Amino acid sequence: MRINDRVFGMLMLILAVAYGWEATQFPIPFGGNESVGPETFPIMLSIILAISSIYLIVKPDPDEKWAPVPMLLQLLSVAVALLIFAWAIEPVGFIPSAALVVSFISWRMGATVKHSVMTGIVSSIVIFFLFNYVLELALPLGILEL
Amino acid sequence: METMTLLMHGFAVALTPESIMFAIIGAILGTLIGALPGLGPANGVAILIPLAFSLGLSATSSLILLTSVYAGAMYGGRISSILLNIPGDEPAMMTCLDGYPMALKGKAAEALAISAIASFIGSFIATVGLVILAPILAKFALKFGPSEYFALFVLAFATLGGVTGKNQFKTIMAAALGLMIATVGIDISTGVQRYTFNMLELFEGVDFIIAIVGLFAISELFFFIERHAGDGLKQVAINKLKLTAADIIRVLPASVRGGLLGFVAGVLPGAGASLGSFISYSLEKKISDKGEFGKGDPRGVAAPESGNNGAASGALVPMLTLGVPGSGTTAVLLAMLISLNISPGPMLFQQNADLVWGVIAAMFVGNLVLLLLNIPMIGIFVKLLSIPPKYLMPVVTLIASVGIYAVSHSAIDLYFMVAFGVLGYILRKVDIPLVPVILGMLLGPEMEKNLRHALVLSDGDWSVLFNSGLSITLWTISVLGLVLPIVVGPIIRSKMSKSKEV
Repeated sequence: MRINDRVFGMLMLILAVAYGWEATQFPIPFGGNESVGPETFPIMLSIILAISSIYLIVKPDPDEKWAPVPMLLQLLSVAVALLIFAWAIEPVGFIPSAALVVSFISWRMGATVKHSVMTGIVSSIVIFFLFNYVLELALPLGILEL
Repeated sequence: METMTLLMHGFAVALTPESIMFAIIGAILGTLIGALPGLGPANGVAILIPLAFSLGLSATSSLILLTSVYAGAMYGGRISSILLNIPGDEPAMMTCLDGYPMALKGKAAEALAISAIASFIGSFIATVGLVILAPILAKFALKFGPSEYFALFVLAFATLGGVTGKNQFKTIMAAALGLMIATVGIDISTGVQRYTFNMLELFEGVDFIIAIVGLFAISELFFFIERHAGDGLKQVAINKLKLTAADIIRVLPASVRGGLLGFVAGVLPGAGASLGSFISYSLEKKISDKGEFGKGDPRGVAAPESGNNGAASGALVPMLTLGVPGSGTTAVLLAMLISLNISPGPMLFQQNADLVWGVIAAMFVGNLVLLLLNIPMIGIFVKLLSIPPKYLMPVVTLIASVGIYAVSHSAIDLYFMVAFGVLGYILRKVDIPLVPVILGMLLGPEMEKNLRHALVLSDGDWSVLFNSGLSITLWTISVLGLVLPIVVGPIIRSKMSKSKEV
């Protein structure tokens, strides 16, 4: 099967065209047009990307196998967990959100629930104290703030 | 002699207690990170850049810290090659050939010690080479004008895949993607917004540190989970070290030859550390036909290991003097320099002489520290390695994210990091190399600036790019760099895999 490269080449071709078209729409800079403007380099890049995407569509390499759907969902859950951590770090605070995300990833990687929760709690507390008191980089306390 | 004076100044910087402390911390952290299978030197340095940055260390201190991390990570990579038969990064592949058999014979400690000594010799030779060659190249590079620089950047991309590169079009594609990301933001010379979609966060462009951590470290986490590698692998138990002076003397010639060859391979565009360690290993095999190469010959550990380290230091020559890195790890080091507001290139040796020579001296000190640390402390590193990745990887991910967060205290940077992680996973699945993407992001602004300078000076005449002997030479090498791998690549690759099977 040589689907991966074909699909990816297609996507990149669309990107190249969109990117190049966008470059032609840049507003004219103050002082009028010169021989080279902000659009010159992007247009070159879009041409290069377009050529290499077309090559990929015409001569694709053999596929690397994708993970089965359940595994992809699992990877998605890890990515979402990291996003939730990013969102929660300020309102909720570093320690609880870090403990949660580390426990979750560790559990998804195959640790038992008990061990992963322990890893999460210990590592988040140690890193919090290390950063706040040894390295003096303030991390938000969030709900733990009294 | 001028060089010697400058180097002595450098040692004065590198031998202050503060610098030595940073060198030791860097060496330990680097060894640990390099030893984690799959993380490797590039990741190690990438994770620690934001930390060094947000700690507000001085430029010299952070450079000393991170060069020691770099050297340490190269050392650490061999631990997993020898004990697990898994190279930490591609150049360490050749070390597995004799290192793992040695470990199986119950000589793991000797293999580790020999590789530590060989690494030290390799780095030492290459650092001496760097001291001699870098100032000469820097003087030469002063002749470069904008069109030569533009051609040089093209050359950097064209030779990045190296002679062993697989699909050149994928390298080009990756480079184009990186350069495209670099164009996001407000155009410096005209103030026009490009691809910002009116998002305030994009006005200053995409931070390449975030991209590096995302593309390398976060995508690695995804691969770990996918491969169910959470439990770690069975490693060979380590024995008590019994190394005699005679053993060391026996591997000395191999280490010296390896270091020299590695240095040359590291300096040349397109060769890189993988080829450096490969050539050193094959040469050693040819010279000494009585050895038992492939079955645990100590010289088969020493030669590639010293070649690998020689190449790693050799790669710093084009990086420091021309601003053009030749490998993933040196690209990450370039990222570090740019984020410290230091632009590498010929002017670096004139404007920041203290800093350059301080760093070069720090490489000598760092390597010595590593050698001294590694032989007695190897047991501790091995113990730490036996912690399964299912506990280690989440914590490493947490540290990487905290580093990113600490730079600007913004959650949006973390969203970007995760997005780059997903992008990195997809790119690796379709076999698009990540290093050209990073290099594109790093070199993009400079490359565009030089192109525009050249074209403005010539009033839009594109032939200016090819109007000097120097730039024509650079273009010729670039074309060769792109075409040669298609012809020679398959032959060398099959040779490399053959020697792996034997």
